[in-house]
Amino acid sequence: MYPVISRHLISASAVLLSVTLIAPAAHAQSRAETLRYVTAATVNTLDPNIPGSTREAFALSMSSYDRLVSFGRKQLNGKWVFDLDTINGELAESFSVSPDGLKLTFKLRPDAKFHDGSPVTAEDVKWSLDRCVTAPVLGKAQLLTGSMTSADQFKVIDPLTFEVTLPRPDKLALPNLATVYPIIINSKLAKLHATPEDPWALSWLKENEAGSGAYIVETFKPGEQAIAKRNEAWNRGSSDKPASLKRLIIQSVPEPATRANLVERGDADLVIDLQASDVQALEAKSKLKVISTPQYNAVTFISMNNKIPPFDNVNVRRAVAAALPYDDMFKAALFGRGAPLFGASWADGKPPSGGYPIPQPVKLDLEKARAYLKEAGVPEGFATTFSFNVGQASTAEPMAALVKESLEKIGIKVDIQKLPDAQMSTAINEKKLPFFTEGIVAWLPSTDYFYRNFYTGNQRWNYSSTDNAELEKIAQAARFEPDKAKYEAEGKELNALHFEQMFQVPLWQPAQDAVMAANLDGYVYQFTRQVDYRNLSRK
Amino acid sequence: MGTIGATLIRAGRRFLSSLPALFGVLVFTFLLMRVLPGDPAVFFASGPSAGKEEIEIVRKQLGLDRSLPEQLGIYLYDVGRGNLGRSMMTGQPVAKDLRQRLPASLELTLTALVIALIAAVPLGVLAALRPNSLIDHGVRLFCSLGVCVPTFVSGLLLIYVFYYLLGLAPDPTGRLDIFASVPPARTGFLMVDFLLAGDFEGWWAAARQLMLPAFTMALFVIAPLARITRASMLVSLGSDFVRTARSIGLSRWQIVVTYALRNAILPVITIAGIVFSTMLGANVLVEKVFSWPGVASYALDALLVSDYAPVQGFVLLMASIFVVVNLLVDVLYGIADPRATVA
Repeated sequence: MYPVISRHLISASAVLLSVTLIAPAAHAQSRAETLRYVTAATVNTLDPNIPGSTREAFALSMSSYDRLVSFGRKQLNGKWVFDLDTINGELAESFSVSPDGLKLTFKLRPDAKFHDGSPVTAEDVKWSLDRCVTAPVLGKAQLLTGSMTSADQFKVIDPLTFEVTLPRPDKLALPNLATVYPIIINSKLAKLHATPEDPWALSWLKENEAGSGAYIVETFKPGEQAIAKRNEAWNRGSSDKPASLKRLIIQSVPEPATRANLVERGDADLVIDLQASDVQALEAKSKLKVISTPQYNAVTFISMNNKIPPFDNVNVRRAVAAALPYDDMFKAALFGRGAPLFGASWADGKPPSGGYPIPQPVKLDLEKARAYLKEAGVPEGFATTFSFNVGQASTAEPMAALVKESLEKIGIKVDIQKLPDAQMSTAINEKKLPFFTEGIVAWLPSTDYFYRNFYTGNQRWNYSSTDNAELEKIAQAARFEPDKAKYEAEGKELNALHFEQMFQVPLWQPAQDAVMAANLDGYVYQFTRQVDYRNLSRK
Repeated sequence: MGTIGATLIRAGRRFLSSLPALFGVLVFTFLLMRVLPGDPAVFFASGPSAGKEEIEIVRKQLGLDRSLPEQLGIYLYDVGRGNLGRSMMTGQPVAKDLRQRLPASLELTLTALVIALIAAVPLGVLAALRPNSLIDHGVRLFCSLGVCVPTFVSGLLLIYVFYYLLGLAPDPTGRLDIFASVPPARTGFLMVDFLLAGDFEGWWAAARQLMLPAFTMALFVIAPLARITRASMLVSLGSDFVRTARSIGLSRWQIVVTYALRNAILPVITIAGIVFSTMLGANVLVEKVFSWPGVASYALDALLVSDYAPVQGFVLLMASIFVVVNLLVDVLYGIADPRATVA
């Protein structure tokens, strides 16, 4: 009898709800010219240089600010991705590199204007780049990777000509100027808001935009939304026309299921951070467009700290690599959405390419794993912890369970440890974790960049705490290697060394699943792993 | 006159005596955040090119390079001047963040509390009038369901039905439809601001946006309120004065509402006060599911990334609200039961 009553109550409250909710839909503004992008993250600053900037802040800054140059795009397995090897002018109408590779000269577009209408001059460029290498900002460490470290290297030749001098030829100098940080700021405007304590107007630019980009920021509520309108005068895209969509709404919607509902109902136009299961469901309904691009500048690892026993023993690391259930993990964690970096076969045991990352010839082979453990002198196995961060729980949790189950079979007892994000990064930075999963990303994904940044030095990104003199030597040599064939050979050497020493186990490159309205066109996977709103248009 | 004065004096005394507790909360939260493992400097210096130097810059910016007592001194001095620090997460001063977000949380919580009270008190009274009857069991079942189903489940369910399937509710993304224009901010409460601006269409849009999250929260707190109403109604219905009233032949309505309910309402007020304070801090899940820009989800996000200032600010805010709500409950006591003011 109870259910009868409860049904009455439920239907009564349902009626009450319906009554309060029915109302005319009032959408004054034209929806078709607006892009509504929903995300779990949030834009937290309008200046991407501020320490603590989020990736969403990077993405917005790509549209609100111009840089001197930008990356082109290329097709990779039928999908558009950014192309590191094609550099186009953005604020620069043309640019040239001197024959000795030491001087980069940029001719600015004479018609380029900031959002307040003042022209973009070489003075603005100099002030902006000086700021990038002098002020306590994120750009400093980035431009360092392109041999730009001091304001003395930047010179104004005339109001529309700008020159960068390098201490040595550096193939990463130009690409560096296309990354997020070296934005060109309206220096006259910014200087008005500079103070003696804050000569680079960091605090003002954090909340105010002073750029020349394709979109003009209108509203900015950190943690909630950012709204921008099209800059009609912008002509820096490849088509020399302003961006296609008139308005841009970037909205934080923390709940993944809600984001999926919004995009499915057509209330949101684009989302890139859905759960893999939701993406699969939406793809199956085929009402929406789903573009899945393996994040080809990112890698997910299972890392072992090469300094903490027993992982200091190469055979233990090999044993782990042979005992991981790769296929099951790939299915359980990513639903197979991504590019696997396991299960390759290298002819005669040599890496087929000098690129990074390349699929490794590793597969689940418990017999081999046991043999390696025996060789390492721990045939009985050992106990260890496996850590991952809460932010990645949806993929890392099923993965950790499978790792635990599989390693148990060769005698390695694994304790799973789930850490809040800040705790995890602290523990990694302090090199306290023996065994964990993490990911890396590189904006300028070249082989030497990966090896130098992720396999050398006592720093956070060297997850495996690798300290290998040979690796360091080859990677440093490759850094300034002008000859392509030699560079490839050095890359192969590094890859061979990586596999031989098994510093850590590259698992896969997860896919970036962009789910969008069927009529949305032009999506390109960007180095920021975010959407470049300028690419998009409606059919 | 005299009773109002007495109430005010009592409230003032109560407020003063709660100041040491607030101070304790302040220091305790400060220490707790620093004892927790997790270094905000490392977390926030996590751009793809951030190295040791960036970590040091952030650490200095946050003042974490100083000694703990020094940090505490600076923090207390700042709080004394009304400066709660800056959030790394949003890049805004914490006081500004909280000021913007508190009205959102309060609006939601108050609406939910009103809905819950409107539903719970009659339910409790009905159950008490017919103990162990079908109605009583029905109310019990409804309450158990409300408490058992976690708010994020009921929230997602309501969204699924009313937004996804029926399309009756607006999209569950915050306080106002993203395409609607915001009223000039006077109080921060959208329902009030729209009324002040005379924009009834906007008011209705905001009200629609508020309904689903408010019902979700209300479902969860109907149970304690209904149960306490039932229990205290049972006591008061069984008491001498109700029997007397009955024997005199007063109307049923007068007996139940004027005599029994007024006497039974004290514990309900107490519980409502507690429920309100708890809801305000603990409705993280509802705020997350409905993308509601409230204080609780703000604090949770900050906690996950070890952003000290917002968490400390939030705890201080909650403690202060608790104090104020308790004061309010005290005053309401006086109105509901004149004996309370005499003491």
